[in-house]
Order: sequence, then structure tokens, then C-alpha cells
Amino acid sequence: MKTELRFYVNDHEVMVSVESHARLLDVLRGPLGLTGTKEGCGEGECGACTVIVDGRAVNACLFPALEAEGRKVVTIEGLQKSATELGILQQAFVDAGAIQCGFCTPGMILSSKALLDASPDPTDVEIREALLGNLCRCTGYVQILDAVRRAAESLRKIP
Amino acid sequence: MTRFDYHKPKTLHEALRLKKEIPGSAFVAGGTDAMVKIKNKAMRPSALISLRAVPELQGISVNGSASIGGATTITDIVKHPDLGKLFPVLVAAAERLGSAQIRNVATIGGNLCNASPCADTSLPLLVLDASVEIQGLSGTREVALKDFFKGPSLSCLAPDEVLTAVRIPKPHPAAKGVFFKKGRVRMDLAVASLAAFVQMDGNTITSARFAAGSVAPTPLRLFKVENLVKGKPVSEQILVEAATLGEQEVCPICDVRSTDEYRRSLIGVFVRRAMEQLSGIKQP
Amino acid sequence: MSELRYIGKETPRPEGPDKAAGKALYIHDLVVPGMLYGKIKFSAHAHARITHIDISKAEKLPGVRAVITAYNTPEVRIGFLRDNLALKKGMVRQFRDEVAAVAAIDPDIAAEALDLIRVEYEPLPGVFTPEEALKPGAPLVHETDPSGKPRKDNLLPLTYHHESGDLQAGMKAAAFTAEGEFSTPTVQQCCMGTAGCIAELDLHGNLTIWAKTQIPFLAQRDFIQMLAEIGLKGRNARVVVPTLGGGFGSGLDTHAYEYIAILLAWRTGRPVKIVYTRDEEFECLSPRQSASTRIMQGCDRNGRLTFRKIDVLQDNGAYTSWGATFPTVMMLPSTSLYKVPNVYFDAQLVYTNNTYCQAMRGYGNPEVNLAIESNLDELADKAGIDPLDIRRINCNEPGETTPMGLKVTTCGLRECIETVAQKLDWAAKRKQGKRRGVGMASLFHVGGGGRIYRSDATGLILKLDDYGNVNACYGGVEMGQGMHSVLSLAVAEALGVKPGKVFVNPTDTSTCPWDVGTHASRGAFMACNAAIRAGKKLRDRIFEHAEVLYPEIVSKNIKAATKKDPGFKVPDIDFVKLAKKENFDLVDGFLFPKNAPLHPVLKVELGAMLRAIHFRNDGEMLSTEVTYDPPNELPDFTKGKGNMSTTYAYGTQGAEVEVDTDTGEVRILKFVAAHDVGKVLNPQTLKGQMYGALAQGFGYTFTEEVLSKNGKMQNTNFRDYKIPTVHEMSFPIELEFVETNDGIGPFGAKGVGEPGLVPTAPAIANAIYNAVGVRIRHLPITPEKILAALKEKKGRS
Repeated sequence: MKTELRFYVNDHEVMVSVESHARLLDVLRGPLGLTGTKEGCGEGECGACTVIVDGRAVNACLFPALEAEGRKVVTIEGLQKSATELGILQQAFVDAGAIQCGFCTPGMILSSKALLDASPDPTDVEIREALLGNLCRCTGYVQILDAVRRAAESLRKIP
Repeated sequence: MTRFDYHKPKTLHEALRLKKEIPGSAFVAGGTDAMVKIKNKAMRPSALISLRAVPELQGISVNGSASIGGATTITDIVKHPDLGKLFPVLVAAAERLGSAQIRNVATIGGNLCNASPCADTSLPLLVLDASVEIQGLSGTREVALKDFFKGPSLSCLAPDEVLTAVRIPKPHPAAKGVFFKKGRVRMDLAVASLAAFVQMDGNTITSARFAAGSVAPTPLRLFKVENLVKGKPVSEQILVEAATLGEQEVCPICDVRSTDEYRRSLIGVFVRRAMEQLSGIKQP
Repeated sequence: MSELRYIGKETPRPEGPDKAAGKALYIHDLVVPGMLYGKIKFSAHAHARITHIDISKAEKLPGVRAVITAYNTPEVRIGFLRDNLALKKGMVRQFRDEVAAVAAIDPDIAAEALDLIRVEYEPLPGVFTPEEALKPGAPLVHETDPSGKPRKDNLLPLTYHHESGDLQAGMKAAAFTAEGEFSTPTVQQCCMGTAGCIAELDLHGNLTIWAKTQIPFLAQRDFIQMLAEIGLKGRNARVVVPTLGGGFGSGLDTHAYEYIAILLAWRTGRPVKIVYTRDEEFECLSPRQSASTRIMQGCDRNGRLTFRKIDVLQDNGAYTSWGATFPTVMMLPSTSLYKVPNVYFDAQLVYTNNTYCQAMRGYGNPEVNLAIESNLDELADKAGIDPLDIRRINCNEPGETTPMGLKVTTCGLRECIETVAQKLDWAAKRKQGKRRGVGMASLFHVGGGGRIYRSDATGLILKLDDYGNVNACYGGVEMGQGMHSVLSLAVAEALGVKPGKVFVNPTDTSTCPWDVGTHASRGAFMACNAAIRAGKKLRDRIFEHAEVLYPEIVSKNIKAATKKDPGFKVPDIDFVKLAKKENFDLVDGFLFPKNAPLHPVLKVELGAMLRAIHFRNDGEMLSTEVTYDPPNELPDFTKGKGNMSTTYAYGTQGAEVEVDTDTGEVRILKFVAAHDVGKVLNPQTLKGQMYGALAQGFGYTFTEEVLSKNGKMQNTNFRDYKIPTVHEMSFPIELEFVETNDGIGPFGAKGVGEPGLVPTAPAIANAIYNAVGVRIRHLPITPEKILAALKEKKGRS
């Protein structure tokens, strides 16, 4: 059964026809062509599909598409400042060496963004708690933590 | 992929009616259990009836006692300042549930109705002597949480009933709680877990409640341990006896996460450490 | 050596921004117009005869375009022992055997069609441990070998053996000996991006396959052979590597699913994409081989090793892939870690009905290192010698030739050992009690390529354009380890341009020169050595042309400057005389005579020079190709002799731990990793490699294990198979890089992709023993095992 779904993705209103059993992940990667959000496990364990819905990080693989009706969704594609400039968090990940294969990176950045939007000056413990649901097999996480700290500092400097 | 219809009822009554009318339908709240079960074909609903935004299931009110709507997210519970002040043991357990992404959508009602033996919120609620309000088309009833769980993934909820609220009675001001959870890594289903709620009068244990997770077909109140320690002065001997009795009272199994022997040992350790911490006999 | 401009400096990787923006395209994201989706039906038994397959219902499902089995396609034999088929015929030998496959217009329909395929089996008894499989009369996993000759047992026909010195004499000379049996489990690579490919045939029968592979050229060879077997002899196979969501060795062989995708593409005439779900990744992709190691070592009264005897037994699973060659690497530390005069090594592999295994980082080294380094501590204990001292006493030295014939050039082992001892405050922390302790372990691995195939070569093409851009075509694979980063830095350094002007093209067998594969920690070593040679060749050609063209361009520059500003002061330099090829330098994309003052009009931008070379009669476009084949040897593994690499990587890791004796939990208080890396090429990517390897090492040590019951995997998702989260890396980790400046390494660098996880487990096991006196010999070191060991120790005392 197909239904019209209307919601906001990266501040743009979108309308798309979806199957009733579709997941938010399928809608983002399929008809909306936003392939930055990845499917790593499909069960909410790895966090590669993390997006922000109404300010909170969620696993898009477990989020029924129809629940996104009227809501504001942020994906990795929404963080870029311009064609040639990354957002502060994204740039911090690049500068700190927090990216290797990059598959976990979009989800990792979205979880970090959800944290920093709510807590601009997080402790290391709080950063780890926010990223607990984002698995990485390449980096060993140390430089990821560094990236989040750097981004937090840069963001706090903005008046 | 399993195909199903998706309904978003605007009232509780509509939700209950849809459930009755649609054969093979299932309720869903946060979806963190249901969507996984559907993916693994453990659940093949014809339709999902979403309780996520049903107004009667929202809200937290705290006034000495607490009432938490069934569709309250775990994050909302963690963040609620009054719940944190009055029932810190509940918040401590809620914080250890899954990950931030899971807590942002998972609900307390869903966690309880999923009825896993390791449901994180069930343990503090059991030691806080919570009860649940259940509604069906035929009416409302209240069930003590200790009578709610019937077996692995089995509760006393009838197929067309909804857990509408969790009620926590006013705790004794001097009572304190603690929550322990052991996973293989930090984000894990519990290998074993324990919530404890103890009231001391000087050196004497006025009352104690213990609830253990992952070591029985349901989340388990350790009534035998509770009866053993009630009214007794805290001592090394009572600690040892309580721990031993706790080990005996549980019936864990071996599975991919751990062994029965290890889980049993952990419960003994948790009982002991909970009593040490809450009686003041040893600093954490 | 003159000061390096880019090498050694902390530099973000060039593809980082695309990955941070979500723009990088992985196999999961690629869509080819007209593409169909393939899905595979796997066996329902560990060992059974296939009696009947009925695909009729599946074929009729709307949206299905092809259903294939071994019975309606030509036979495709795969694996280096040719003991596997892409689609199984007659017999299934493991649960993940590919029995049928479907191509459909969407993945849901393909999955639905799988359920409609009916396969009938006659179950047969299986064998699920090497011991079981070796029992006389045990059921045979393969009744014949690939040529049809009957087999008599389940032993693999592969010999891995080494004997040097006189083992008996060594044993006699030992004042102390220690013996033990160790084991490591099957673990999964757990790449965050799962396996997959898209296969497409053109109308001439040439194949293009986008593949998640680390061996594009060996894969090309395999696929060309397959094309020949299905009636497309002489056609080409082009392998294109998209952004990889990890590798860690999982891409070192071709997989049945790739051949199946090709068969489906061939059958349907459409591109076919197969991507594994996470469950399929766990259950149906080849994990890391398990190993049992029996070891005995002895030393004299002074702690000097007199012998080492190692016997390895491995569960090969049902078919043969690179897991079966782990002993080629196991031989290295077995014969050459520490000075040991009399060595015996033997490894046997046994067919079972468990999953067959691939490669994974470390490739056998972590497996035997657990035994060697744990057992060394046990030997030290018996001899009454501090484990630190026994390592000092037997430490390898630069310039040694080891019993295997490995020629050690630089060796930073001593510095690594001392660094770990110092950073852990060894002497004090050994005695601290309170259930706390320290332990260490060292490693030895290839660092300068690894000849395990008849060629260890790599090729690099650098193409300059008219604007000073350098396009690099390289056949090695970027899988997150930072290869493109160090390659672009090395090209920039060697040629004399800014790294931002170096563009590394996608890895594609049709445009890039051959490379044997991104394995054996050889990526940076090979790529950068090729870059150094290619850069020099291009510089030489540019400077030759510049002898004539530099004066021309400078004259033009002066004319233009004078025209613009009549008061322009012409520099008093005879730039014609200076224009000799040995006089020029090229730095940051500007060419100038070395000893001339830095006047702007005397600097010629590289693009301007290249346009001058190109746009004239008989002009030239500059590009160069280099083949770099390091002077190492393909060892004879039946004798265990041959200098496999051109230089060797060393390192030592150490841990301070605290054990909770009530729960068996181990808390790492501090971890130190000191590695002889030759030279740090890019601190950022090197640290990333080390932290990442350590995380895998901690997973291997504490939580990871593929659980299998009668051949069926029990934990096939991230809920049940646990890899470290960010929380498990929350203790202080100190990295120390020892730069031994190796003569053959590019800028002095050695390969370091694998060493980071080699000694992690024994370092921790040794620390646990120091803390609480129990030794766990079988990974993973779980709280369950520690608690059980503590109880047993208590019971004994």
C-alpha cells in the first residue's frame, strides 16, 4: 500500500510516495537519492544509518518511513556549508584523521552533531555515550574523539 | 522484505479498535524490537498499529509518586529532572539501555511489553514496586509489575490490550537504589543485571528488594534473598549468605552471550556489592 | 637526506572530504542502468548430497529474470586448489554453500524467489573439528581431489615445514623448558561495508565488474579464466574498485558470489548487483582461520633460547582459500622472532564441514605470536628471569640472517622493548600486587613487501597534463588504510609539486598497471617506492627539456614584465648558462635554477613548462611508468627457507591491567605500543592504522569468536558477535614510533598495516598472569574463563 509522505530533509520539504512497510533508510537512499546514509546491519546495532529526526539521533533502519511525516530530518548531505566547504564537524573529522574507509563516518558525524547541538561542551564520557551506538572497525575511535572535541571547541568560538 | 500496512491512530480508542478489526496486526511503539523481529521474520504482521504519538500514552507526572505514559521514550525518562531526583535507580538503568539512537525512540511500554528477561527498565521498576495500567476495549486494569511477566517474551497482556502507563509509588525517603549491568562490551544486552532498592535504619536493613535480569525466564524478584536480609543488621555474614542465596535463586542458561555458571556468579557478586553500597558498609 | 616537505607531516587524507560529506560511492551506492539484483540460496546442511533442485516456481515469479544452479550453467571451478565450485553440484559441504541464485528487478522479489526454490538433500554425517576429521574412518569432506583421484583422508595436500639447526641438541642444551597449547578462534573481519559487486558483460563478451576486492589483478586473472570456461575465451575482464567499506583481508580472494553475479549477468544480458546483508556477511563470507598451536621453548641458565618447536593445526573448513596459507607467515615469527638457533615448525590443515576461511590482518602472525610470547613468559617464569630481561637477552639485532634465511636490515626491536618497559614503569608495576600487573609481547612481520606469489611487483603510471596536474594510476587498493594519502604525498615529494596537484585515479585494471594485491602490509612501501622512481624519471625528463625551454620562457617573462613596467629591473643573471639539467630544482610546482636568487621572473611554473614542451612542433606529452619489484624471494615453504621480504617490521606492546577477581573482568589501565616503522610517512594515517589495529587486537583478545555448532554459526549479527565500541578504547594508549630509517624503504619507511594487532593478545595475557597468576591460553580471554581459572587456582592451593 503506497502513501504520500511529506517531511523535511535538510530543510527542504519533500514529498514522496512510499510503501507502508518502508524504512526511513530506504526512502532516503532510494527515491531521495541521499546515499550518504549507509546500511551496515539493518538492526540498529552499528549506527551507520544514523540520521537526526526532530533533533534526536535515530537509526534510520528501524524508523518506519511513515513516522517521518511532518518531521525534520537531517542527513550527512545537509551538513555541507557550500559546494566547496564542509561543515565544522565534517572538517574536524577530516583534520583529525578520524576517517579511514569512511563507511561509518556519516553516522558517526550525525551522532556527534546530535550531541553537540544539545551539549556544546561535552565531557569525554558524554562523547563516548553519544557514540556508543556507532561502530567503527578501522579507526580505533581515538581520532574520532579528537575530532568531536575539536569541533566542539570551534563551535563554541562562534558568537 | 515483509510487507505490512502501517496505521497511525490518533486516539487510544482508535488504536484498540484497529487492533481488534485487523487480523494479524501488531502494536508498535519505538520499533527497536519490532522492526528487528520483522526483519528476521520472527514477526510477520499484516499491519502495524503505531502507538508512538497516541496522546493518552504520553507524559510524565511526578508528585511524590510517578506516572509515566507507556509511549514515553527512554531518553525522555533519562532527561526528566524529577524522575532523576526521586527515582535515580530507574534513570541509571534507562541510561544503560542500548545506545542513544535506540533510547531516542524506544519506549518504556515497549521495553516492558517485549518482556525480555533482561529488559533494562523492568529491574528498577520491580524493585520500586511499580505497577502498570493496562487498557483494552473492555476496560482498564492495573497489574503489579511483579505479576506482569509470565515467561520469555510473554506478559499478561492480552493481544488487544495496551500498556498505557507505568505507576511508581512514592518511595521511602531513606531508601536508595543501585543498578548493575554486565555486557560483553558497553552496548549489549545484559549478560546479567541487577537492580536493588534498600532501606536502612542505622545498621539494620529495614527492607530490601532485588530484581535480576538475564538469569531466569523473566526479570526476577529475588524474594528469598529479600526475606533473608529483611530486618537483619548488615554484616559480612549476611552479605555472604545473601550472595549465595541469590546465586541459588536464579536459573540462568547458557547462550551465545555467556554461561549459566558465570551468570550465577555475577548475581552473587551484584547482590553483595549492592548491599555493600546501599548499606553504607563499603563505599562504591 | 635533504629536508622533506610533505613526508612526515600530519596531512589529512585527500579523499577525506568526500567521505565526510557522504559523497564517496561504495558498492552499495552504485547503480548501473538496467541493473538487476542477485540473491543467493545457501545450503540447509553442513554436509549433504543434493538430490533435487526445483526452480520452476521461482522462475515464474513476476520480476524474476533468471534462476541458476550448477545444473543449468557451465561448471566454474574456483580457489587456488581448485576444490570449490561457484555453484555447488552434487554435494554441499558447509552451511554457506551456494546452491542456487536469482536475478530479479528488485532485491525483495529476488529474496521472495529464493523461498520458492525447492532443494532436496540427503544429509550426510559431517566433521566439525580437525581432530574429528583426522580420526581414521572419518567422513571425507572431499571424496576426490579436483582431478578426480580418490582422497584417503581430510588432510590438505600442503606442506609447511621448517627445520634448522639440531632440535635434539637444542633440547638437551636447555636448562629450562616450557610447553603449552594455545588456540585462537575463528573471527570475522567485520568490515562496516559489506561485500558486494556489480557484474556486466558487453556485447563482445568482455566483463566489467565493480568489485569489493583487494586483488584487482589476480581477480582479473580469475575472471578471465572463468570467461574461458563459459565459452568466452579470449575476452577481457576489467575490474574496477569503488570506495571500499573496509578490507582487512576479506578481499584477498575472489568469492563465489562474484562468479555467480557474472553468471547471472551472462544469463540475463543485464548488469547484476549482489550485495551481502550483514547476516550473509557473517554467515556466508569467509572469516579468519582458527588455529591450535603446540609450542615448546627452552633456554640455558642465562636465559638464552636454545630451541623452539611449534606445531600448528588448522581447521581449513570445506574449501581452500588464503586462510590455508597462514602458515607461510606463521613461519616468520616462529623462526625469526628473537634469536633462536634450533627451530622446528610444522603446520597441518584439515578439511572440515565448517566454513572455509580467508585472510585477515596479521595472516597467521597473531595466532602463533600468542603462543610464542605467552610461552616465553612461562619459560622466563621457570628460569626465574624477568620477562623483560629474557626479551633483552634474546633480542634481534640489525644485520642478522635468521634461521629461515630472512635478512634483517634495520631492526628497532631493542628500542621498542625499552620504550614499553620505560613507559609502563615496568620494575615497579611488576610488583604492585592489588590484582594489577604488567605484561609485554613483541612482534616480527614483513615490512618490505612479501613474496608469496611469483611476482611481488607493483606498477605506477604518472601522467602530467598541461596544467601541472599529476594523474597517478596505481593498481593497489585504498581501503581506508591511507594508501592514496601516502602515495600522493610521495609523488608530491619525489616530483616536486604540491600534494593538492596529485590526483589518484580510481583503481581499474584497464588503466592501472599490475599490482599483486594490497596485502602483507606492502601498500605504502610499494606505492611510495614506485612514486620515488617515477618522480625522478619525470624530473629528469622535465629538466632535460628545460635546458632549452627554460631560457626561452624566462626571456618571454622578462619581455612581458618590461612591457608592463618599463622600470622593471632585469636580474643580472646569465640564466642561459644556468640552464643545465643538473642545476634545476622543482619545488611546489615551480622550476628554477638551484643557485639563482629567488626572483619571481626566474621561476617557471610547471604548467607553463609543460605547455612549452607540448605545444610546438614535435612536442611531447610527459608521462612515465615504473615497475617496482622488490628484491625479495619466494620462499620454499616445504623447507621454510627464503628471504620473503626486503625489510622487517618490529614492535613491542605492553599493558598494565587490573583484574576484578570477583567478576573476572579485566580493565586495561594503560597500553603502550612501540613500533619500528622505519619512517613515519604521514603521522595521521599511521596513528589511525595503529589505533585501528589495536582495537581489532582488543576485540580478538577479549570478545570476538565465531560460535559454531555442527557447522552452523550461532552468532551472525552485531547483537551476538561483539566488536569493540568507542567505550572499549577509553583507557590511555601511548603510541611510539621508532624510526630506523631503512635503506630500502621509501624515505626509510617500512610497511605497518598489520603489526598493530599482532602482539596485543599475549601482551595482555602476560599482564593478567602478572596480576593474578592465571594464564589463559585460548582466545578470547573472557571474564568467564578468568573466573573459572581463578576458581581452579584457588581450589588447587
